[in-house]
Amino acid sequence: MKRTVPLILAFISGIVMVIAFFCREGSLAENLSQEFLIWSSIIGGFSLLLGCASIVRVQWKHVSQQKSGWGFSVVTLAAVLISGLPGVFAVSWSPLFGRGTGSIYDWIFVYISTPMSGTMFGILAFYIASAAYRAFRARSAEATLLLITASLVMLWRIPMGEAFLGTISSHLVDFVNTYIMLGINLAVQRGIIIGAALGAASMSLRILLGIERTYMGRG
Amino acid sequence: MNIWQRMSSIDRHYVYLLVAATVIFPLIVPAHFPIGISPEARQLYEAVDSLPEGSVVLLTFDMYANNLAETEPIARAALYHLFRKNLKVVTVTTIPFGGPSIAERITRELAAKYHKTYGVDYVNLGYKPNYVSVLKGMGSSIESIYPTDNSSTPLAQLPLMQTVKNYADMKFIYVVADNGIVDYWISIVQAQYGIRVGCGVTSVMAPKLYAYVGSGQMTGLLGGMKGAAEYELLVGKEGLAVTGMGIQSLVHLLIIALIFIGNLGFFMEKRRAARAKS
Repeated sequence: MKRTVPLILAFISGIVMVIAFFCREGSLAENLSQEFLIWSSIIGGFSLLLGCASIVRVQWKHVSQQKSGWGFSVVTLAAVLISGLPGVFAVSWSPLFGRGTGSIYDWIFVYISTPMSGTMFGILAFYIASAAYRAFRARSAEATLLLITASLVMLWRIPMGEAFLGTISSHLVDFVNTYIMLGINLAVQRGIIIGAALGAASMSLRILLGIERTYMGRG
Repeated sequence: MNIWQRMSSIDRHYVYLLVAATVIFPLIVPAHFPIGISPEARQLYEAVDSLPEGSVVLLTFDMYANNLAETEPIARAALYHLFRKNLKVVTVTTIPFGGPSIAERITRELAAKYHKTYGVDYVNLGYKPNYVSVLKGMGSSIESIYPTDNSSTPLAQLPLMQTVKNYADMKFIYVVADNGIVDYWISIVQAQYGIRVGCGVTSVMAPKLYAYVGSGQMTGLLGGMKGAAEYELLVGKEGLAVTGMGIQSLVHLLIIALIFIGNLGFFMEKRRAARAKS
């Protein structure tokens, strides 16, 4: 029962979505698929709630048992409650509630989350510069090719570099755009995209036919 | 340690100091360089610019806070262009934390500047979970997926949403994103509903998306701060991206110079060692 019902549900909902793709607007399959999509969005909402409940339960356990680093759990719990609850409360109770401009939720996002995330991301620039300096060595033909291409693309992406490439040859900027980005890069990316799409299609088919069952928590 | 060895093993703290100096210097002494317009940026600009007045455009704010330096200038330049052209704008986001706030802040700020009325000229639908369902479901009925907007106002009370029922009522989708959602806008929305999609994304994402530009599935592409700067110049509204290009230029040049110095030291030392051996 535990295995058969999810398999039947996955098969029916999947098949309905496939059939609906070939049906006209207003048809039974199309209406049913729209209904499934609404359910899916609602289930997505509940999964967020489940995620919140899970993080609170795990962190609370850490705090109550005073495990190593429990102080961080207190910070996590405080962050979840302080940022989450005011965003859920009705804006009619107070303009500080809800998710609009001027709300606590918005204030936390603009003045805490954004600068912190920006700082974390900005630090990457230092590591990238240091890593590029140490790792980009022309030790082999492949590494040399990568090095030259990376340098050309980096130059192409900045105005000063564009001007510099233009002084070497008036066609060099077009060469980078046409042959590297829209040539070699495009061909490789297209291969990756097609490969990933074929993989996704076969995985979907395996789920529909009940061959792939890992989504149920077992093989 | 000889000079070549020193060149190939500069302490990382000096590299960090150089990067910091390169970032701070253009902020104190701003420098503007001529920015070339790429064919992909021009294609996106022309696609939006050719839309008839009053057309509805879906603008997405699929972005997190950490990439705002690249994505916010794109969103601002795009919105400026849309409002200036008197196009109707519907905004959505697939990012729960940040997306709705960024959309709300930028749209309200620019709308006030260009005297646009909420509900008539633009609507912010906000966030709904499970983006694949949202993207697919909006193709049949936006109201069934978003019964209310970001401020919990029923769509039935918003005049603009009386004329916009699904993708068929839209002329263009302008995706501003910093994550893999772009693939879904192409594979679900563009491929299945035939609506034109243009994108503004972070620099690291752009190379992958050239495949969609090449196949004609994507109408124009802006890559990172350079793309944002190009679009700012095209719409005639220089902003954060044009200013930021000075910083980005110097940091790129510094990285290239460091790579060159490292390789020069590496080669010379290798040659010296080979000579000493023979």
